Order: sequence, then C-alpha cells, then structure tokens
Amino acid sequence: MTEHDDRQIREALKQSFPPVDTELRRDLWPAVLRKLDVHPARVPWYDWALIGLSTSVFVFFPQLILVFAYHL
Amino acid sequence: MDLLQRFALGEIDAFETLVRQFQGDIYGWIVRIVRDQSIAEDLTVETLWRIYRARQQFRPDGNFAASARRIATNLALDHLRRKRPEQSLLAEPAAAPPSDHLLQRETREKIQQAFCRLPAKLQVAATLALVEEQPYDEIADALGTSVGAVKLRVFRAVRILRKQLNHLGLGPGVART
Repeated sequence: MTEHDDRQIREALKQSFPPVDTELRRDLWPAVLRKLDVHPARVPWYDWALIGLSTSVFVFFPQLILVFAYHL
Repeated sequence: MDLLQRFALGEIDAFETLVRQFQGDIYGWIVRIVRDQSIAEDLTVETLWRIYRARQQFRPDGNFAASARRIATNLALDHLRRKRPEQSLLAEPAAAPPSDHLLQRETREKIQQAFCRLPAKLQVAATLALVEEQPYDEIADALGTSVGAVKLRVFRAVRILRKQLNHLGLGPGVART
C-alpha cells in the first residue's frame, strides 16, 4: 500500500463521513441526577440473607438474643 | 478542600461542578466516535454516572479529564460492538455536505458500509485519527494504549478498508469518484 493510496483512503473517509456537531446543546446534569436517583445504593443479596438468617435464629432460639447482646 | 477531594468524598455539589465543567468535552469526544447526537448524550450521562460510582478511586491529584475520556471511549467502543453495522454511521446527514459533488452517494454508502464492518477497535482509532484528525497521543491516552498501537490499528483499518473497497469495485482513485 503506497502513501498515495493511504491519502486517498483518508480523503474518501472524510468525504463519506460529514463533520459532526461536537457542541453539547443542553445541560446533562438533570439527566445525570435522574440516573443517580434511579440507581440508589442497593443492599446486596448476602446482606438480606444475613438479616433473614439472624431473624430466623432469634425467632427459634430467643435465648441467643442475650448472648448476642452480651457480645455487642 | 480541593474539588476532586470533595468529589471523592461523595459531595454532590462538587460532582455537579465537575459535570458542568467536563460534560461538553466528554460529549464532544463521544459524538466524534459514535456520530449520533442522541446516542452521544446517553453515553455521556452513562459516563458521568460511572464516574460518580467510581469516585473513591479518583485520586485528588489525578487527571479527571483523562480518566473521564477513557471511560467515555470504552463506553463508545461497547456501543459500536453492540450495534449492527447498518445503524447510525450510515444515517444520512440532515443536509448534504458541501463536498457532496466530490463523491457520489453510492460510493459514499459503500465506503460507510465497509468502514462499519471494521472491528470496533480499529473503527474507533480510524475515526478519531483519519476522519476527526485528533492527535495520536490523545487517542492513545483515551484508548489506554500506546501511540504505536494506535498507529498500527489505523494502518490495519486502512489496509482492510482498501481490500474491502477493491472487493466492492472501488479501486485506486476512490476519493475522486
């Protein structure tokens, strides 16, 4: 491939893809803020599992609440 | 306290200041790659959201603009990988470009089709280097690679494009058709 061919490809590409307007026409902060609201910090599944397990243990073995409280 | 330090601590006001300061740059970079204003806006919002999520990894003495551009480039790359070749890049411009007489519509479409068939990594490097004429060091920084690697990608893109255009019957002198 010659430098001449290379230059022709560049020219062809530039003519095939018209220039794009790179200026941002609106403020995107409101959209970013909305996205932040849409994705609040989620409680991971293993935290829910731990909560469920702890509740079950305390329901079936209530005396463990005292042991748990002692270690707090 | 420094703006980036406040941002890293999760202060929403600091993040808003950064968004207002850099949203134009990020959008401008993305739209050069994806060449669609609506998609570029969506990807800019996604970039800023990801930046916020990763705020604790930002060093107060680091280069916010460079990090943002790298995240933006990765998102644009993912978008190009996902989309079908027939989409967006082939969309007709609202008004015919002034140099339209230099290149027939059919030829232009063939070149666009051939370009869209390039692997996304080559497409991004070639778009930024050849169409947008961005400096190689900036492209390399945004792609997280070396200038040599970018030059190689551009070279490979041109070589593949040349073969495809020959296959489509657009040989040497394609720019003059």
